[in-house]
Amino acid sequence: MYPLVYDELHRLARRYMSRERKGHTLQTTALINEAYVRLVDQRNVHWANRSHFFAISAQIMRRILIDHARRHAYAKRGGGAQQVSLEEAATVASARGSEMLRLDEALKMLAEMDPRRSQVVELRYFGGLNNEEIAGVLNVSENTVTRDWNIARAWLYQQLSESAAN
Amino acid sequence: MSPERWQQVSRIFKSAISLDGEARAAYVQDQCGADESLRSEVEKLLASHQRASAENFIGGRAADDGAVLIVDEVAEYKPRFDKNRQLGSYLILDQLGAGGMGEVYLAKDSRLERTVALKVLSPDISEDKRRMQRFRQEAKVASSLNQPNIVTIFEFGEVEGLTFLATEFIDGETLRNHLHGHRLDVSETLDIAIQVLAALEAAHEARIVHRDIKPENVMIRHRDRLVKVLDFGLAKVTEKRSRAFMEHELDTEAATEFKTTPGVLMGTINYMSPEQARALAVDERTDIWSLGVMLYEMVTGALPFGGPTTSHILVQIIEHEPQPLPKGTDAPAELQRVIRKAMAKSPDERYQSAKEMAVDLKNLRKQLDHGPVLATDDTDHTDRASEKKRVLFVALVAMLVATIGIFAVSIWRSSRARSSVAVPAAAPVVAGPERTLTYWITVQKFREGKYKDPYGVAGEINFEAGDRVRVNVRTPEAGHLYIFSEGPREGNVVPEFNVLFPSPTANKGSSLLSADQQIQIPETTWWQFDTQEGVERLWLVFGEDAVPELENVKAFANKQTGGLIADMTQNKLVHDFLTSQSAVKPAVEKGETLTTLKAPGKLLVYAVRLEHH
Repeated sequence: MYPLVYDELHRLARRYMSRERKGHTLQTTALINEAYVRLVDQRNVHWANRSHFFAISAQIMRRILIDHARRHAYAKRGGGAQQVSLEEAATVASARGSEMLRLDEALKMLAEMDPRRSQVVELRYFGGLNNEEIAGVLNVSENTVTRDWNIARAWLYQQLSESAAN
Repeated sequence: MSPERWQQVSRIFKSAISLDGEARAAYVQDQCGADESLRSEVEKLLASHQRASAENFIGGRAADDGAVLIVDEVAEYKPRFDKNRQLGSYLILDQLGAGGMGEVYLAKDSRLERTVALKVLSPDISEDKRRMQRFRQEAKVASSLNQPNIVTIFEFGEVEGLTFLATEFIDGETLRNHLHGHRLDVSETLDIAIQVLAALEAAHEARIVHRDIKPENVMIRHRDRLVKVLDFGLAKVTEKRSRAFMEHELDTEAATEFKTTPGVLMGTINYMSPEQARALAVDERTDIWSLGVMLYEMVTGALPFGGPTTSHILVQIIEHEPQPLPKGTDAPAELQRVIRKAMAKSPDERYQSAKEMAVDLKNLRKQLDHGPVLATDDTDHTDRASEKKRVLFVALVAMLVATIGIFAVSIWRSSRARSSVAVPAAAPVVAGPERTLTYWITVQKFREGKYKDPYGVAGEINFEAGDRVRVNVRTPEAGHLYIFSEGPREGNVVPEFNVLFPSPTANKGSSLLSADQQIQIPETTWWQFDTQEGVERLWLVFGEDAVPELENVKAFANKQTGGLIADMTQNKLVHDFLTSQSAVKPAVEKGETLTTLKAPGKLLVYAVRLEHH
């Protein structure tokens, strides 16, 4: 039993944000805040239920990170025209940024072959949900989630290693 | 890979993963048969799986992994205007800083040949017409303030489509900078606080509340150590547009601020008063609180409230007492008392004016300068004496209450014991206290896409997703009422509890109801079942006395959270209390729509089951 739509959204968002997190950095907090802001700004979205909510919040987090990663990549390349020199690319942030972008690309490819497994990754990695929660969102058993995660992660790892090698 | 091929690969992978070594190889060989490329795909994937788990690939959370992306953006930040840029009649000399509201430059006003601090508001703030209107009004009033501890506002205007504010330039450092994570000695702390209070006194007289007193907004001039408070009247610009969306606004602000000045994120929340944190109306006394926090920080070098997230800090501000001052602090007891009083949760218990607080601090300064002084100030003397008397009185009352409490509990315990042991005849019958409560539930069913007419139920019916409920309670006698909802139980996990009553909007936030009062929860809207099935409970608690365990969680009962007790420890305390008290079931009399509950003792606890399948 939950209060009506908007209240429920706030409640879920609050819970999503206030979940116990150790080793939280200021930057992580800022990212989560950004996600939270966009989340409660979804005024026109019709919130079907909490599963829908979690699915959207994971998507939002993914989008935010990719935006940051992309901005980063462009900034480093001076507008995208120049070749990245080795020294420039050596910073942690740009490496992380390009990793994020490649992961995003791989995840899109996975979604084309296998939408559910791609969503498991999105919910877990970007949404921060645990397997039990994901099982609830996708309406499958926890075992299925574990299996989906294993295979999806292995495939993504393989894609990223290959794209890094090229 | 085609989806069909992927299906094949993943089916074999799924089973192979549970096998080891040779068994696995044999299984893959068997499944793939002559299809060499299939076998190689599966083997590659299995190897990747091993490496991915060993390296804990994407094993954390994206928000943590991506945090580094923001750090670098901060470093890449560039000011909007370069040196020597002419902006209207101002020539930019240097950039002084940047914050959530915009950027601050050192500039020269060519008309008057004076150096000013030029605050250029960020475009998104300038574009908000309503905010700007208010900003203009506030800036006008603030510019009329003429007090040495308040930074003078020279001009407010627009140039190149951007709104700016020209103020007196202070050659000095912010208190934030001065503190730099260290504590100050007591005499310096007092000097600064007394000057801030002088600024507050003048502003409050002009009916201006600062709303954002924090070390970033206090400047210390190099030349003479004169303290200047910045940004009077500006806080309202960044203040929440509408109270209902307060949290949203708060986080927007924090997030924007963060992008340009790391470390400020938490600062904006830390000095907030409980009433600000709860999005209630604020007055002058909110500045007293913030100054209290600042005093605490100056004396200890640390903040009174901390936590990993905004929500944690807000909850602490609303309901936790500040951390006691560490032992090593050389702050005199009197200063600690002043801080405690400035940081009383209820504005009514704080200093009621900046002047009142300044009197205490000035007296303390005199005492420290010249040794103990007797009755330096008449008002102060009486104040202190009555304070002492009050403390004594409170202590006596507390002892009395505690004694009665122990007595009452033992009566209540024995009456409870009697009701559960079935040998009442021999026991001496004491006409003990009894609690009575009446409730009914209004239901609006959702069927075939439409809401049916609401009706009352006394019995426990089966709900479906989309159905709405309200609960109505009538109190035949006066007492303290608490209503909680309990989410579906899953295994051994403590279920989620929501505070439905008391709430800030119902009954003025108090749990105390008079005889024959009737309340409806929620007051104007409904509670709705979502798709998560299970048995939910509605807990009704009605006590002759307030229940401390439950009073503690009142702070959670606000609209934004829907009453969810976000703090896991508090949630568990509520759970433990309710379950421990529910052993004795009250007598239940069911009418057609009304249910009457009667329980022996001074406390009635009852759970209404709401089945949702």
